Amino acid sequence: MNTSAIKAIISKDVRAFTRDRFYLFMTFLGLAFYVGIFWFLPDTVNETIEMGISQQGLEAYFDTLVEEDGGLALASFESAEALESAIRSGDGPAVGLAFPSDFAASVADGAGTEVTLFVTSAVPAEVRGALSSMVREMAYLAAGNPALVVLPTETEILLGTDRAGDQASLQETMRPMFVFFMLMIEMMALATLVATEIQTRTVTAILVTPASVSDVLVAKAVLGTVLAFSQAVLLMALIGSFGANSLVLLFALLLGSILVTGFGLWAGSVGRDFLSIIYWSVLFLIPLIIPAIAVLFPGTAAAWVQAMPSWGLVEAIVGASAYGDGFGELAGPLTHLGIWCVAAFFAGMLALRRKVVRI
Amino acid sequence: MSDNAITVRDLTFSYGTTRAVQDVNFDVRPGEILGILGPNGAGKSTTIKMLTGQLLPESGSIEVLGFTMPAQRDQIQARIGVCFEEKNVYDAMTAAENLAFFARLFSLKDFDPMLMLEKVDLSDRAHDRVSEYSKGMRQRLMMARSLINTPDVLFLDEPTDGLDPVSSRTIRSLILNEAARGAAVVLTTHDMFEADELSDRVAFIDEGLVLAIDTPEELKLAHGQRSVKIRSRNGDSTTETTVALDTESSAAELRDAMEHGEILTIHTEEATLEDIFVEFAGRSLVT
Repeated sequence: MNTSAIKAIISKDVRAFTRDRFYLFMTFLGLAFYVGIFWFLPDTVNETIEMGISQQGLEAYFDTLVEEDGGLALASFESAEALESAIRSGDGPAVGLAFPSDFAASVADGAGTEVTLFVTSAVPAEVRGALSSMVREMAYLAAGNPALVVLPTETEILLGTDRAGDQASLQETMRPMFVFFMLMIEMMALATLVATEIQTRTVTAILVTPASVSDVLVAKAVLGTVLAFSQAVLLMALIGSFGANSLVLLFALLLGSILVTGFGLWAGSVGRDFLSIIYWSVLFLIPLIIPAIAVLFPGTAAAWVQAMPSWGLVEAIVGASAYGDGFGELAGPLTHLGIWCVAAFFAGMLALRRKVVRI
Repeated sequence: MSDNAITVRDLTFSYGTTRAVQDVNFDVRPGEILGILGPNGAGKSTTIKMLTGQLLPESGSIEVLGFTMPAQRDQIQARIGVCFEEKNVYDAMTAAENLAFFARLFSLKDFDPMLMLEKVDLSDRAHDRVSEYSKGMRQRLMMARSLINTPDVLFLDEPTDGLDPVSSRTIRSLILNEAARGAAVVLTTHDMFEADELSDRVAFIDEGLVLAIDTPEELKLAHGQRSVKIRSRNGDSTTETTVALDTESSAAELRDAMEHGEILTIHTEEATLEDIFVEFAGRSLVT
């Protein structure tokens, strides 16, 4: 390995990168844009459902049915009309239950009664279902009957991590997306540098000097990783992601940078011009960004999403920056990321080597 | 170890099933310019690529400066200069930066790009980006790049192809200077005049085979026809007589032509390398 040749190639490529106005502009624009958007995003999560009821005196039933801090805030309204009006205006609660004045007496007598459920279109179907069930349970309580189903020992099985009461804000869940876009810009910049070197055949001029194919490959790989890593770290610093578990986050970002460098080398080897670089990069971008989108929606990601190369990176970023997870908690995602990182990196190096040797 | 700067024996290379170079043999001495002459696709560039380590030979041997290619590629590449047919310079960098970068690859200390750029008449544009350069300027920059390590062997692939006369003259002058310094020069071209002017020896190559290799003079003497063309006036009419110089009756025919009428012009003619190439290959250099 010729270290002075590697240094010379890296320094030449840095110069070429800084003179590529498009990628330089995109890097700084992306940085400013993502940081700006980040600080505008909500940094808290309101997990409480505000519900209006039109019949006063029924709060006791709700207290029985809903645990303390169970995420239900009640607001009483004088009439069903007042409740409906408040929901329609958008300033009031998102859901409402209008009980008839003889609700308790009717159910106690075993006579049928009618309860109106008011919901806005934004309320998920499962919440509507839950409220219907709640009304039935209230009817049983009012009638003096025991609940239909009794769970003597309550057993709760959680799939994935229980984030109830501790959900990440939109700001926190958008972090991986921003990092990903930043990494992708640097991936495209690297791919362009590589493709230009191949298409203009300047690489052949390098290869008839004491510099070898390995020196060229190492230089490109180091440059790509450093570019991606430095931009990702800068972005994460600007959006205040580094806390107690900075080391985990840095490690995940380093692996992520190596991952996109592998894809960048690959795209640069097969790309012929700017448009084909964009084409190949987008082809890689789409599957890579899916885990970053999946994390925006609460719940466990589908198995195939967890198989995506970037899933480990997204999990590690959210885990470390939003929940303070350490190496122990993130061992699984980091191992997953590490395996993909090695595979992508060597695939990229192999593609570039084949291309360079065959020119 | 031989005194030759380059020794090539039975060199063969194929692109898939197409034989590009076949059993090529030649030597180049220090200070000698060998012109490899052939049409496009004859195998010239492939030969240079193998000599410079860009391609691995299928069979045969290459020795450059006493080192074997590809086994001792590093030792060879440290002492050779290569000027490519493609204008493969860094457009986003200045000429000075281009040269400084390659000087670093050769680990040259205290390299001054300005001295090298003066040699190719580019010192006044040293700090302009190469993207602003003309084709001739790029070629001169490439020539300067091939000389930064003061090479003992210089490989030049079509160095004046499509250039303006000023750039061509600058490059030819540099080639002669390098040979005078003692560098062995391998020059590929399909320009017969350039080969004739610069080369100590020329090798005709076609379809991967070396058809002939000798000095231009010997090739012309051995394979070409010399003649004298005389234009004379007899009364109101002019006549043109061509006398071949390589026959037993040449002297008598020449004397006879000179004695008839008023001589207007006399031109000697000799075969060109193009004529001789056609004789060997059965086709023109320009295809």
